[in-house]
Amino acid sequence: MGGNRRSTRHLRDVIDNPNLGKWNAYQLLKAEEDAVSVELSTFKEQFKAHLSELFRHVSVKIKKHSDDAIWIRVAWGDNFSRPNHLKPTYVVHYLQTPYVFVTGLSQKHKPMLNQAMVLATRYTSIKDAYLSGKNLIAIRDLVMKQYQQVFPTNHPNPFQENNPPPTNPYIEKEQAENAENRQRVACEAFGSGTLPQLQTAVYKLETKFRDDTNHIMTKRDEPFRGVVKFTSSNLLESLRHSVSSGMASSSVTPLLSSITQKGRNYFVITDKGLGPSAQTPHPKV
Amino acid sequence: MSILKPFRQLPGLNTANILLVENEEQLQVKIADSMVLLEKIININVRLARNLPLPVDKDQSRPRIDLVVFIINLTSEMSFSSAESSLKYLDPGYFLGKTCFMVSNARNSSIPPERLISVRKLAASLHCPLLYAEDQTEEGVVAAAQRLLAILKVAAGLVPMVTGFYLSTLTRCTVPSDLDQQSFD
Repeated sequence: MGGNRRSTRHLRDVIDNPNLGKWNAYQLLKAEEDAVSVELSTFKEQFKAHLSELFRHVSVKIKKHSDDAIWIRVAWGDNFSRPNHLKPTYVVHYLQTPYVFVTGLSQKHKPMLNQAMVLATRYTSIKDAYLSGKNLIAIRDLVMKQYQQVFPTNHPNPFQENNPPPTNPYIEKEQAENAENRQRVACEAFGSGTLPQLQTAVYKLETKFRDDTNHIMTKRDEPFRGVVKFTSSNLLESLRHSVSSGMASSSVTPLLSSITQKGRNYFVITDKGLGPSAQTPHPKV
Repeated sequence: MSILKPFRQLPGLNTANILLVENEEQLQVKIADSMVLLEKIININVRLARNLPLPVDKDQSRPRIDLVVFIINLTSEMSFSSAESSLKYLDPGYFLGKTCFMVSNARNSSIPPERLISVRKLAASLHCPLLYAEDQTEEGVVAAAQRLLAILKVAAGLVPMVTGFYLSTLTRCTVPSDLDQQSFD
């Protein structure tokens, strides 16, 4: 049918050009015993079946990409109209991983999509991974740790003596060791080489106001709510550069290094936890 | 406190050593490359540092530094404060013609004018010359390198009849007393 071919073509176009709107990452939790044996055809069948059961008026297209990603395009309708192909939801899932990436999903359809996803992948539940960004490949690489990581070691340059890098004999850097240390610390916190392109990191503060000179604010019982937002065209690159060039004067705070260590860019900070709260309930917007 | 002293070692034959101190470590690399390329007759050794004091473990191998140049990027307040705090690690002997200040981005309209005035006052109080460098173009970097080479040769004693101290009395920065009230209307 014409509509079918059109939506297949749309899906293919989007796969080739996936940077439309904002992608959100979700994580599937508590795999059932047979989760590891879910393969493509079973998944396709189950997903389509469960979703149609939960919500009658949907049009679903599933395609497997060359990098083993499963792309799902869902067009939603309702009791009065046919599925709307102009505002589809796209879902990307890599089988055998617990990660799901979604864009274009409205709050109304979210519970049904989540439920269908959980049932089709044979997990127990799904939660927000608190990671979002414009670039699908970037958030995928970040959460699945597919970038060049640097692990702390006692012997950072084991083979340096055999092949020292060529330098001009007339120019000498006095504090080369410091510069190397800074570079190493920066790469340990954020990775080396090309980093996933994140645009923002948001820290929602729910901590009490602390300032000995300001009694009006410290008298209050309720927490001082504030939001700190970092934006950049390539946030991880900027953070790494600010540490390696010495612009950041002390060692990397765990609040920033959590972006790469935990693979998320939305944190809620409360007084009880040091650093980002790991057991945060879904934040009330 | 490890203070850099100007006359701890004997001078090398036909050699001049310069130390470039810059917090951002950007312009100093370009100037170093340029200086080494430009000078064909004299052996130029350039040492690069971010701030003073210099690491103690290199004290023995370090040659005598003939000229110390503080490169200050006017767009950054930290650049200025880092240079200022490095000054105390310099022996007073360096302020008799063996130190000089170089600023970049002086034409940038977004910098607060007070910063340049503070740098000028600092250079004037220490009787040091203040050079202005254009770091965005290659010609600017070459020009800055050439000017530093000229001062370096004098400071290293390689120009007959001219000493660093004499040159610095001619080239040192001066600040007119009414600078604070100056306006450009």
